[in-house]
Amino acid sequence: MMKDIKQKFIAPEIRHDAKGSLLNPLKNLQFLARKPVTEPLQPRLASLNYRGFHLNDWEQCVGCASCQKICDNAAISMVEIPNLPNDPVKGIRNHRPAIDYGRCCWCALCVDICPTGSISMSREYVHTCDQQHIDSYFILPDPTGMHQQYFGEGWHKTEDSDLLDLERKDMQELKPEERDDNFHEIVDGFTPEQAVLEASRCVQCGMCHDSCPTHMNAPEYIRAIWQGDCEEAVRQIYRTNPFAHVCGRVCTKRCESACSIGIRGEPIAIRWLKRFAMDALPHERIIEIASEHKSATANGKSVAIIGAGPAGMTAAFDLIRAGFKVDVFEALPEAGGMTHYGIPDYRLPPDILQQDIDVIASLGVTLHYNTRIGVDKTIDELQKKFDAVIMAIGLQQGRQTRIPKSDHHHVYRAVDLLRKISAGEDFEVPAAAVVIGGGNVAMDIARSLARLQKQQYGEVKITVTALEQRQHFMADPEEIREAIEEGIIIRDSCGPQGCEIDGSGKLTGLKTWKVISIFDENHRFSPQYDETDETIHCCDAVIEAIGQFADTSLLGENLTEQLEWNRGRLQVDADGRTSLPWLWSAGDCVNGPDVVHAVADGHRVAGSIQQQLIGQAGQETPNG
Amino acid sequence: MGRDPQQAESSHDVLKSKTSVQEILEVAMQFEKTARDFYTDLIPKVSKRIRYLVEELAAEEELHYQQFADLMKHPEIEQQLSQRIATPPSNGKFSDAVHAKDLGEKPDDQSILQYALSREQAAMEQYSALAEEVEPGPIRDLFNFLAMEETEHKNELEKIYYEVVHSGGV
Repeated sequence: MMKDIKQKFIAPEIRHDAKGSLLNPLKNLQFLARKPVTEPLQPRLASLNYRGFHLNDWEQCVGCASCQKICDNAAISMVEIPNLPNDPVKGIRNHRPAIDYGRCCWCALCVDICPTGSISMSREYVHTCDQQHIDSYFILPDPTGMHQQYFGEGWHKTEDSDLLDLERKDMQELKPEERDDNFHEIVDGFTPEQAVLEASRCVQCGMCHDSCPTHMNAPEYIRAIWQGDCEEAVRQIYRTNPFAHVCGRVCTKRCESACSIGIRGEPIAIRWLKRFAMDALPHERIIEIASEHKSATANGKSVAIIGAGPAGMTAAFDLIRAGFKVDVFEALPEAGGMTHYGIPDYRLPPDILQQDIDVIASLGVTLHYNTRIGVDKTIDELQKKFDAVIMAIGLQQGRQTRIPKSDHHHVYRAVDLLRKISAGEDFEVPAAAVVIGGGNVAMDIARSLARLQKQQYGEVKITVTALEQRQHFMADPEEIREAIEEGIIIRDSCGPQGCEIDGSGKLTGLKTWKVISIFDENHRFSPQYDETDETIHCCDAVIEAIGQFADTSLLGENLTEQLEWNRGRLQVDADGRTSLPWLWSAGDCVNGPDVVHAVADGHRVAGSIQQQLIGQAGQETPNG
Repeated sequence: MGRDPQQAESSHDVLKSKTSVQEILEVAMQFEKTARDFYTDLIPKVSKRIRYLVEELAAEEELHYQQFADLMKHPEIEQQLSQRIATPPSNGKFSDAVHAKDLGEKPDDQSILQYALSREQAAMEQYSALAEEVEPGPIRDLFNFLAMEETEHKNELEKIYYEVVHSGGV
């Protein structure tokens, strides 16, 4: 928009050689008898770098309010414009800056800080008005200028004046050859110097807070890191996220996608800064900080939580702090859910996860391991013994393709193998494997098997096949990049057609057809194949990573009948209530799709239970 | 809607013995009705968690039945058929690689969809084969039309299959 206006701009001509007449002063006498009026002065252009009235290109502006925050004179207010797009996940607010020229000192820091470069100042500087229009000194700048007449851009963002540092600080990580035969954590984490430098890049706009499912106080903890106060950083982190170590390592980091610095440069490494703060403090001190503001007295109410994953444990954290008695029932020997049994050690070391679990348990939560509800205890027993029950069982079962011959015993589900690897169980590592799926689970199992192959056979023979083109894979781009670095072959646009079995009954490969397109014009599934482009991917094992579902059999038939369902999932309201007054549900089994959403869900159900059982709103929750 | 793949041979003979558009449509309607009743009977037998799926399948078969009934009442049925077969839908072939499955006692959502897909697939193939076997004319147009309808039903089921199976946790 600004570009169009600039192209149309023709500067008014200034006649510097005009001299006038000696009699001109006498001519003015004719005006003595007339009623005085105020006429606008003819605008005159100022210098090329002049700091005149503000211009703002609304199409570039994302409403981040960095201009408002830097203004020492409090001359800038953010005004909500209802018709503009507002999408926190994409880092867009429907706010635009308004300038009060009664306060503005024309310092242009707003221009120099602006992450998008949408604000500049014009070469126009004259505005007069009568008392009736005194409000005209409070303006909502747009690209046309103070008087809807563009007089050219004066001070604007240049490389020299830009206050932003657009490049991330480097961080050490293991090279492919250093990591491809082991499960050592890949990323080293920031040093204190790197962390302070990285934190100093933040403009405190808060786009990260808006986009985060659990609305973490990222600007506050980043500021604390910059100030060298990691205790305060951890305190800010624990206001909304008790899975802080985990999210400091494996969060899907929507905050970084929304970061305003990312518009022209590299977003702030918010996830790694969180990790830095958590790693900087001794575990005992983190426990002390997490227990601050914990209710000193029990409220006499008790809650049972089924599942010790991020959603269940977050709810446990909130409820125990609010004075509830909390018992968590976990079917497996360790807590953490898929963060323990699904995420490989090289991304999330188990001792790090255990620290988050330990903080929550230290507050008084009772964990019952190896206790499968529906087998070791019934859900009816929990209903009778506790005032409320939360079902947070995750998506623990893998879907199968059920393509021809996929019932072979060397066709595995990715989540089953990941569980075995996490638990340290022995299994036959295939010398050559094909993974079906393009998500993070597919990458996790491919990269885990690659490490085991390297250890056992000295070479990697893993192929990942998926229906989608590589740029549309669900997996994080960095996961794909690192997988390729570790010797994994990615074959995109491949539709699985069947497993290949030889005469002796041995699995020998996976047959795929080339996928020409996947979705129709309405973005619904409608795959088109090129049957002539057939590939046999040789292997001795096929691993399916196409989807997951929750095993809800623990509810039993009667309860399943009593509950309301929503297309195969438990029906819950916005607070996680099911159709039964004593049962809530949270996490992947009802929402999804990742750790930080599960944390947000845990807060919501805990808040809802507090409201229902003791009539109080929760402590700090994602919505509060 | 198609029919149980095991019954395909006998239904082929039944359809081939018919000599008028009206008679064939009546048989096709009967197949839709049978499928609707099959799914309706199945509704109370599956877990409430996945009952929505069977209810939707029964409703879909009822819709097909009504569409065929409306077509049969149309005064210019032959013209209608030739118009409709002018733009055949493409066969996605996704479910060609999904096993036909017996439902068993306690089918899960994926099994139900696999079963439904295999029925549509069998019907589509049968109508296509019948169209090849008869002389050009209204009867062939009708078989082509029915094959197209089944292809569209199958394509719609494939979308549901993808949304149910290829989801969650990836």
